[in-house]
Amino acid sequence: MENFLQQLLNGITWGGIYALIALGYTMVYGVLKLINFAHGDVYMVGAMTGYYLAHAAGFAAHPSLYGLAVTLLVSMAVCGALGATIERVAYRPLRLRGAGRLAPLITAIGVSLLLENTGQLVFGADPKFFPALVESRELVSLGGISLSNVQAVVLATALALMAGLEFVVMRTRFGRAIRAVSFDAPAAALMGVPVDRVILGTFVLGSALAAAAGILVGLSNPKIDPLMGIMPGIKAFVAAVLGGIGNIPGAMAGGLLLGVIETLVAGYLSSTYRDAIAFVVLIAILLLRPTGLFGAPQTEKV
Amino acid sequence: MRERALLLLALGLLVAADVLLPRVLNPYYLTILSRIGVAVLAAVSLQLVNGFTGQFSIGHAGFMAVGAYVSAAVSVHAGAAWLAAWADALPAWALRACYFPVPLLAGGAAAALAGLAVGIPALRLRGDYLAIATLGFGEIIRIAILNVDAVGGARGLSLSAPAHPGLDLRYEGLGAMYGVVALSVAVISRLVYSTGGLAFRAVREDETAAESVGIATTRVKVEAFVVSSFFAGVAGALFAHSEGYIHTNSFSFLRSFEIVVFVVLGGLGSITGAILAAALLTAAPELLRGLGEWRMILYSVLLIATMLLRPQGLFGQREFVPGWLRSRREAPRAAARG
Amino acid sequence: MPLLEVEKLTVRFGGLTAVSDFSFHADAGALVALIGPNGAGKTTAFNIITGIYAPTSGSVRFDSHEIGGASPHRICALGVGRTFQNIRLFRSLSALENVRTALIGTQRSGLRDVVRGGRWLRREAELEARGRSLLARLGLERMADVRADSLPYGEQRRLEIARALASDPRLLLLDEPAAGMNPSEKDALCALVAGLRDELGLTIVLIDHDVGFVMNLCERVTVLDHGEKIAEGPPDAVRRDPRVIEAYLGTGEAA
Repeated sequence: MENFLQQLLNGITWGGIYALIALGYTMVYGVLKLINFAHGDVYMVGAMTGYYLAHAAGFAAHPSLYGLAVTLLVSMAVCGALGATIERVAYRPLRLRGAGRLAPLITAIGVSLLLENTGQLVFGADPKFFPALVESRELVSLGGISLSNVQAVVLATALALMAGLEFVVMRTRFGRAIRAVSFDAPAAALMGVPVDRVILGTFVLGSALAAAAGILVGLSNPKIDPLMGIMPGIKAFVAAVLGGIGNIPGAMAGGLLLGVIETLVAGYLSSTYRDAIAFVVLIAILLLRPTGLFGAPQTEKV
Repeated sequence: MRERALLLLALGLLVAADVLLPRVLNPYYLTILSRIGVAVLAAVSLQLVNGFTGQFSIGHAGFMAVGAYVSAAVSVHAGAAWLAAWADALPAWALRACYFPVPLLAGGAAAALAGLAVGIPALRLRGDYLAIATLGFGEIIRIAILNVDAVGGARGLSLSAPAHPGLDLRYEGLGAMYGVVALSVAVISRLVYSTGGLAFRAVREDETAAESVGIATTRVKVEAFVVSSFFAGVAGALFAHSEGYIHTNSFSFLRSFEIVVFVVLGGLGSITGAILAAALLTAAPELLRGLGEWRMILYSVLLIATMLLRPQGLFGQREFVPGWLRSRREAPRAAARG
Repeated sequence: MPLLEVEKLTVRFGGLTAVSDFSFHADAGALVALIGPNGAGKTTAFNIITGIYAPTSGSVRFDSHEIGGASPHRICALGVGRTFQNIRLFRSLSALENVRTALIGTQRSGLRDVVRGGRWLRREAELEARGRSLLARLGLERMADVRADSLPYGEQRRLEIARALASDPRLLLLDEPAAGMNPSEKDALCALVAGLRDELGLTIVLIDHDVGFVMNLCERVTVLDHGEKIAEGPPDAVRRDPRVIEAYLGTGEAA
């Protein structure tokens, strides 16, 4: 039983990370109906930025929560800017041209490949070790289940960020604008919503969250490399689809659920199939309920 | 008459290529040429689904993997024994020429079955969802193969039969390979450019309208998918038998993306475009080896730039076929003007 | 026995009832119209008949076959052709190719397309000829090789009709065939549609907003409003029916 609960805890921790990345996918899909294949690589850039910053600013040598906070915020800002740049340079021109849905998808693949390969060139293909910005020690031990302070930080940060996003989306004007554009972009435009800026903002938010995920992963699984975004990117995407792509609470739920499923299956069945779980879940969802757990079916008007 | 003459000439050229090229070119160039052959077939087969039927499939490498592994397994476990048994009856070249179609067809058939299994559920989905589903299936296939120890698993599969050491199961004849590729391209081309083949493009343009004129769109999509998977399997089989060693790493979604790039850059809906793009993009990086890591960066920039500047790719939906190559047996095809 | 018989058809999309208890029939050789204000459910009715949606309840029978819920391509094979309210041509295909898509039929064999024996060549030539003659019937023969989306609007509408005819239907459903046409084009269309019925023996049901166009052409008019049939009969009677006037105008004078 303790093993199960421990696995559950681990699963929720990973789930929080998937959720953070999944939110970016789902928000962009909501406003643009585009699967941003490059999103997983933004997460990688976040981790890398954190790595270099932590070393440059001396946080690596003197771990502290303050150092972690600064690294987190700067990395989120950098990736937010990256996301904005990608949107402006690669996606917006196609949108202005009315390019349909296939072209941006292909461009997204291109951007993803570009980020990965530039990353390999700039950061070097060898893995690096993310500095332990928080010295790992066991925080709590309850009847065989142990929670390290790193895990606590990861969980707390992830939940805080998700709560923050929920606040922005539900309680601010900007959030309302995002929801309007997701629901019906042309109508939102007619109502005076600055659609272009909303889209830009969505990219910034999503990318910032991905960066945060990158830092948190760096903390818990220190080995980072330029291709680290591929698998988590796909899995986070599956999580977004699981929850209903375009649906924000869905992405959070999907991320947590996928993290738990993956950890439990890997723990109880076999860890070699760990990566395959996500794909199986993907296929299952697409075949059984393509609109996801929280999504609404869409009908086409003929 | 002219047609038969051309065909005989082509056949002669292929045989000559088989015999002469290995003596004339060094192995590095031979390898590039064989990789081009595989890339061309992979691209043209994908074009049928993505370009002509308008379904965005990005898991093509999975079907190539099926073809590669099944054909290799056939050669290793059955072919070797057969070749050894008949070694005295026929000269080596004749024996291998007779045998060669077998692993190709086996690989193609297995891949076609996989295509059927994937296509029937996946093709119910549209657009982005279909893309993701095919990506997912491609990866599932790859991971599944990776976990089958009987075909090497994580060690890869070598085209050699332990019971018959020294027996070369590879088939490196470029003439034969290009003959197979040319035949396949001709088959796909004829399928598409006929009245019946209009069904594919009708489905691409407007599924509802296609249904309203009597086209069973789901069946057409599945057909395209199965035919495309068959030829992907053949491409995989060709790859396996020219490389002599295969590993699932060659069939990841990165490879699938690469083939999508060929098709998009060549023009979604152009067979000649796909051929040209596949050939150029396979040859260039090899020849520009000096660029090293910059190769992939250039690749991705090229992709982004193309979508921004010339989204229809090289040839768009047109074909570029020199007049003397046009066959009399062409369906009266309107070259769409305007 | 009417060729087309719709009985107590009801269609609901979630909470919205698009068509309610709708009964309708068309005898063989009839030329009838289905009219009504925007959103009345006319196109939805067409979509049910042609299989795009399935009925929630009620039945649709074509030539005594129950077709409610059948797939559109099967219904087409039985002999129902249609055009669309918002033109749905195969845009990157030429006019001739658009028509030929409807000639594919159910016996297409990929293998024969590959092997291309004598029989294939003959059949292709025959299909080409049929395609061109259909284009000619609609005055489009010179546009045969032009991309469908390059055609002028009126020609596009006619091409859609040509394509629908190519599937050799017995029942033709025309959804707003005259939309966007000027008066002289409408007259030409009028004569064309009447000709289709007279020369080809087709049964035609058409939807249109132009009351004048419909009145001149059709022998019977059915009026839908908010998914329900509110009137049916010869054009003159329907035009004067107060419920019809109210549905179109709200209050007041005849149209």
